[in-house]
Amino acid sequence: MSLTQYIVTFYILSWAVRIRGWVRRWRQPQLRGQEWFFNVHVQPGFYTGAGRKILHAYWMRIFIPSAIDIPVATAIFISGHLLLLRWLILALAVLIHLNHVFSVDLAERQARSFAVPEAEQPVRSMVLSLKTRRLRDYSNRKLEVALAVSYGVALAWLVWYYFAAPDHQNLRLVFAVPIFLLYVQTGMVLVKQMIVAWRMPVPQAQVDEHIAAHEESRKLYLKVCDFGRISCSVAILVWPVLLGASPAHRELFVTLWLISGLVAGVVATVWQEISRKKVLAVALRARPVKLPDLLGQSDAVLGPVCYQPSTPMLVLKGARGYSLNLGNTFAQLSAVYLAGLVVLMVLLRTAP
Amino acid sequence: MILTIDTHDPRAIYQQVADGIKELIARGVLKEGVGLPPVRQLAADLGVNLNTIATAYRELQKEGLITVKHGSGAVIASSTSAERSQVELLRPLRAALTELVLAGLPSNEILDVVARELRTVTKGSK
Repeated sequence: MSLTQYIVTFYILSWAVRIRGWVRRWRQPQLRGQEWFFNVHVQPGFYTGAGRKILHAYWMRIFIPSAIDIPVATAIFISGHLLLLRWLILALAVLIHLNHVFSVDLAERQARSFAVPEAEQPVRSMVLSLKTRRLRDYSNRKLEVALAVSYGVALAWLVWYYFAAPDHQNLRLVFAVPIFLLYVQTGMVLVKQMIVAWRMPVPQAQVDEHIAAHEESRKLYLKVCDFGRISCSVAILVWPVLLGASPAHRELFVTLWLISGLVAGVVATVWQEISRKKVLAVALRARPVKLPDLLGQSDAVLGPVCYQPSTPMLVLKGARGYSLNLGNTFAQLSAVYLAGLVVLMVLLRTAP
Repeated sequence: MILTIDTHDPRAIYQQVADGIKELIARGVLKEGVGLPPVRQLAADLGVNLNTIATAYRELQKEGLITVKHGSGAVIASSTSAERSQVELLRPLRAALTELVLAGLPSNEILDVVARELRTVTKGSK
C-alpha cells in the first residue's frame, strides 16, 4: 500500500465518520425532548412555529464543511495531487468543529427569544469546588512512563544509527519525522492542560449531576488526547524499524503500518462513539440552567478575539457570541506553539 | 469541599469566598496543610476577575488562616498560627448579638440561635 492509497482510503473513511457526525448533530437540538432546543427551555409549540425555521437553518449549517469539501476534493482528484487530501482532512476536522460551535451558539441565541421566561433567569447560587485540578491527577502514571521510555529508546536508537555511519545517513531522513511527532505530542500535552483547566461553573441545584457531567466530558477529551499521544509514540517507535529494514522488507513494513493505522483509526472512532454516548447519558441527567454572569460580559460586544489578562478564561461569552481571550496564558502558549510549529516545519524542510 | 456563592447576598463575592473557606476550616473540612486551588482556577470556575479571589486569599492570609508560598500556592495554616486577641475575636460576635437584641429577640431565643449556629459551624469538626 502506497502513501497515496493510504490517504485516499483515509479520506473515504473520514466520510463514514462524518455521516455519523451528521446524525449526531442532527438529533442534538432535541435530545432533551420537545420542551428543549439544545440547552434552551423553549415555550410549547416552539417546533411548530418560529423554532421550525431556526431548527432548519441549524440543520443546513451542519453541511457547510461538506459543501466546501466536495468541490475542493473534486479539484484535488482531477488534478491528481492526491497527497493534498491529507491537508484537506486536517482542515475539515478543524472546520467541522468550529462550524458546530458557531452553529449551536447562533441557534441557541435565536431560540432564547422563545424561551420560557423563568428558565432564562440566572440561578441565584453557584457552587465552587475547592479541589485543585492538576494534570497529574488526570494522568495515568504507567502510561506516562511507557511513553517516556518509548521516546527514549527510539531516540537513542536513532542517534546510534546516525552516528554509526555519519557519512551515509541523511540527518533529515533520520530525525525529521520523530522530532515532528515529538512536537505534536507536546502540543497534545498543552491541549490536555487546557482541558484540565477548563472552567467548571456549577449551579447549586443538582450539584452532583452537574459535576459528574463536567468530569465525564473532561475525562473523555483527555482520553482522546492520550490516544493521539500513544499513536505518536508508536509511530516514533516504528520509525527506527522502518529505517533499519532492508528495502524489500521496508515496503512490507510500511504497508503493515498503514493498514494497522487505519484499523486503529476505525477502532478509536467506534470507541469514541460508545464513550460519547455514555457521557451524553450522564450529561442529560443535569438540567441546564443559566448561570449568573459575575463579570457582566454577557452584554459586552466582544470581537472574535479580545485581550483581558485579568480574566482567567480562555473563551469569553459576549453579546455576539464567543471571543478568544488573548490575555489568557493558554492562548499565548498556543500562539507560541503554532509559531514554533511553523519554524520547525521550515527547519525540517531546509535541513541537510 | 465546596463553596456556595449567592448573587443575592449583600456581601461582596471575595467576602463570600473568604467566609466560605473560613467556615470549612471551622468545620474541619479543610484541615491544616491542605492546599487550596490556585487563584486562577477559582476565578475561572466562578467567572470572576483574578483580583476577586486574590483579595479573598489575602484576607485569609492576613487573618493567619492560610499561608501563601511562592510555587506551592495557598495552604491551610496551623491553628496556632491564627492566634488573635480575644477582643478582636469577640467584636463580630458582639455586633451580631446587638443586631439580634435590636431586632427584639428575647435572650433565651438568642441563646438558642447561637447554640444552633455553633452546632452548624462546628458540624464535622473534632
